[in-house]
Amino acid sequence: MIDGWELVIGIEIHAQVKSNSKLFSSSSTDFGSGPNSQVSLVDAAMPGMLPVINKFCVEQAVRSGIGLNAKINNKSIFDRKNYFYQDLPQGYQISQFKDPIVGNGFIDIVLDDQTKRIGIERLHLEQDAGKSLHDQDPNLTFVDLNRSGIALMEIVSNPDMSSADEAVEYVKKVRSILRYLDTCDGNMEQGSLRADVNVSVNKPGDELGTRCEIKNLNSFKYIHSAIIYEAKRQIKLIESGESINQETRLYNIDTGETRSMRSKEDAHDYRYFPDPDLLPLEIEDKWIEKIKSTIPELPDQKKNRFIKDYNLNEYDAGVIVSDKATSDYYEKVVKNRSPKLVTTWVTSELFSILNKKNLTIDESPVSHDKLGELIDNIESGKVSNRLAKDIFEEMCETGKSPSDIISEKGLSQISDEGELEKLVNDVLSANPENVEKYKNGKDKLFSFFVGEAMKLSKGKANPKILNELLKSKLNT
Amino acid sequence: MEFDKDSLLKLGKLSKIKIDEDKLSSLSTDLGSILKFIDRLQSIETDNVDPTSNSLDQSLVMRDDIALDENSATEILENAPEKELDFFSVPKVIE
Amino acid sequence: MKAGLNLIEASELLANNETSSVELTKIYLDNINKGEELNCYNTISSEEALKAAESSDKRRKEKKSKSRFDGIPIGIKDLFCTKNIKTTASSKILSSFVPTYESTASQNCINAGLISLGKLNCDEFAMGSTNKTSYFGSVINPWKSKNSDANLVPGGSSGGSAAAVAADLCIASLGTDTGGSIRQPASFTGTVGLKPTYGRVSRWGIVAFASSLDQAGPITKTVEDSAALFEIISGHDSKDSTSSIKQKENFYDNLNSSVKGIKVGIPKEFKSDDLPVSTQKAWDDCKKLLQENGAELIDISLPHTMDALPTYYIIAPAEASSNLARYDGVKYGIRENAKNLIEMYEETRSIGFGDEVKRRILIGTYVLSSGYYDAYYIKAQKVRSLIKSDYNEAFKRVDAILTPSTPSTAFEIENEPKDPVQTYLNDIFTVPVNLAGIPAISVPFANDENNLPIGLQLITNSFEEQKLLNIAKNVQDTINYAPNLDKWWIK
Repeated sequence: MIDGWELVIGIEIHAQVKSNSKLFSSSSTDFGSGPNSQVSLVDAAMPGMLPVINKFCVEQAVRSGIGLNAKINNKSIFDRKNYFYQDLPQGYQISQFKDPIVGNGFIDIVLDDQTKRIGIERLHLEQDAGKSLHDQDPNLTFVDLNRSGIALMEIVSNPDMSSADEAVEYVKKVRSILRYLDTCDGNMEQGSLRADVNVSVNKPGDELGTRCEIKNLNSFKYIHSAIIYEAKRQIKLIESGESINQETRLYNIDTGETRSMRSKEDAHDYRYFPDPDLLPLEIEDKWIEKIKSTIPELPDQKKNRFIKDYNLNEYDAGVIVSDKATSDYYEKVVKNRSPKLVTTWVTSELFSILNKKNLTIDESPVSHDKLGELIDNIESGKVSNRLAKDIFEEMCETGKSPSDIISEKGLSQISDEGELEKLVNDVLSANPENVEKYKNGKDKLFSFFVGEAMKLSKGKANPKILNELLKSKLNT
Repeated sequence: MEFDKDSLLKLGKLSKIKIDEDKLSSLSTDLGSILKFIDRLQSIETDNVDPTSNSLDQSLVMRDDIALDENSATEILENAPEKELDFFSVPKVIE
Repeated sequence: MKAGLNLIEASELLANNETSSVELTKIYLDNINKGEELNCYNTISSEEALKAAESSDKRRKEKKSKSRFDGIPIGIKDLFCTKNIKTTASSKILSSFVPTYESTASQNCINAGLISLGKLNCDEFAMGSTNKTSYFGSVINPWKSKNSDANLVPGGSSGGSAAAVAADLCIASLGTDTGGSIRQPASFTGTVGLKPTYGRVSRWGIVAFASSLDQAGPITKTVEDSAALFEIISGHDSKDSTSSIKQKENFYDNLNSSVKGIKVGIPKEFKSDDLPVSTQKAWDDCKKLLQENGAELIDISLPHTMDALPTYYIIAPAEASSNLARYDGVKYGIRENAKNLIEMYEETRSIGFGDEVKRRILIGTYVLSSGYYDAYYIKAQKVRSLIKSDYNEAFKRVDAILTPSTPSTAFEIENEPKDPVQTYLNDIFTVPVNLAGIPAISVPFANDENNLPIGLQLITNSFEEQKLLNIAKNVQDTINYAPNLDKWWIK
């Protein structure tokens, strides 16, 4: 709710299918190549060119549909969506209108420990458009068709979200599922996943308001701010007596405002009709079953398993499983080790380094086996947790293994009772006044002795044994 | 029967075909005649009939996911009326 | 060497070393030159043709011929994209387009060693039945009425393809047929025109008009030539999703002209008082001929015959309106400069397209538009199903159907019908076949009282071209139609 108004949000996600070649042509789908270097005659809509569908893209769409708990349709139709635009070489986009490849589904999102089910209306396959560059020349727009024809999965949600937070959680969850399935790399900066967000507002109990669509949001931050701005804009208009025009808007990342898209002002009549260059797509149940058997454990399942097997709390489990690579990393480290310790190390130490250096888990300076090794050293008592943090920092800088660092710097924890006893005696004999004060009741001085012993041992004293020794000596 | 002129101009906008003032009337008559001709179908009973969009009774043949480097940018741009470096160029578009 | 060779005759002469490919090519290039007035060719590829002929002769000498037809000169409708040879679809909008690729059908011809003499004139974007809508001007029918010197239409849209074969400006040609565009001009020019089953010949590289109806096919002097050329161009193409996976057949070698026991259907809906007397007579004579040769005639009904034309004039323009959206001045073709993108589109397309093309795009846009889609487009697709089932039912009782090809013989070019629908009626007998996706052939049968050719149409079920060609051969061999064409353009 914002200022007493309810928000109704529906989202259309466009996710580029991870595949080697395009949906209806054999050009490469690599990102960042020279302009028009990945364009075939079909992509350029040369006279006489015809579409031929990529089987793997179909499989990816089915796989995604299964991951979204959706119905896979045995028969679907490709339709032409007709309109003119400089980056739409055919003058139409091959998409799916009435009979999409995937039907109703759902996903669950968790916000503030509450689970909410968001309905998915459908998923269909369509061609991506080319790219227009408007800022290279004062009088011209440049067109690069490399992206033209890449397979997109359009995932349409039901208007089930009622806040910007829910909207972001929904997109995060869908992205995570697609990445788990490896059907889309979810790289929002490069544009492989983007969202069109529909927003309307209404007073509680009233009918739904007129919605506006905000196109091409490619970060969670923008999705959030755009929704807030748009809701407030609509509320302001309605409260001042004006009505909302159903329109398409663009979000300006510099000003944080949405504005009406000039080219979409005229109502579009897309004149959808079945593409006569293609025949109906038939997907046998046998094939669907085969694809189902290749589905890996998905985030929700994994989260529940982690909570059960590793005793993680809901929050930590959620954080770890949100990304498949992270959960894989975690699971490798936690094998035969204390989950509590591993969780702390992964979620605080490791994550903070990754965040600070802006790295993904795949780019982690510390591999899962090296981290595991470090944790082994902690668990065996060879180093203290505190010392381990220093070792970890060095591991990040140098890439060396913990054992190498420990032996190079002689950092092994001192657990030998004899050695520690000598240490304690040295500390106590060096501070007779404080010993006296402690024995007379100043309990707080205990930590002073601990600190001195640690200093003397260069931090290597095994804290547990040290504590016991100090206690026994001081309490005599 | 005449095809109404506003509809005609709207169709022109949709299909990006300019219709000159002096052609408006004759085009309107011609299209009106065609419309009358095709209207004949309205009287045919088709309630339980499925539409045919392609007469070939075959399932969609699918291809393998292999990327081919078939055409260079030079070839693709060879027939372009206007181009800059390796881009197609058009009059500036403001979104 | 006899004038007016056919494919088989030419192949025999070449095989017997009685001529060479270069000699043949030179003769036909000369014929083309002398026949300039007929305006059959948009582009003449003399240099390329002679070079290809030389290669052919070399291959023949080394006994490495690509096929039995290696070295024979043909013409190709200017709708097939031909590599490095201008391909215009007879439109201003593509008037300077040079493809960097070759259509599958014409590539198959190259693979068989056939020589392309050039690109044949046609109606713009294949839309028309008179070849008057071409940006490059009308094609003139080599046939003239006995009683008048007026220039006649060759039919369309493959007018240039048919006229060129009839006038010996090539030995055979490739055309396309969407609503009758091979059969109707074949009928008007006394040639044989075959529209194969939809899906037999790849559409890859053919400028698309109506995707679910377009089909490429041969226009030839004889049924044997038709079988041979059809065999060369047909076959599955994985680059065309609407290409049939059915195996190619040896249509030429398997020709068998017996019609004993063949059941021939005569559809009552094709009978009309408007049919010219001579056309009706030709039809009747052919029925008798087939009966005498052992076939059985059966009366059948194709109830939705009269609904086919309006159905076609909804579906074809609808698909065309979408297929022609790519001609926008951005990637290829002409561009009219303008101050913004929308104006550029509008100026380019308004200047680039002729009137008939514009009419069809507008009607096509209309029948697909919101509010009209169900009433027109979906309705038409349903009637299409009904038409198809008419033929399915008929073919349960008969092997083939015999009808006239056209409701008249060739008419004057100067004839300007008051409204476009009148021109559309030229296709009344041919259009149902495209909607049903089945094969049909037009065979010249006789000349009318003005000495103008009358063609008769045979139709069979999907993928039964062998049967179709067999029956056609039977008719051809029995009637022995000899075109007594006076080459008036050679002074």
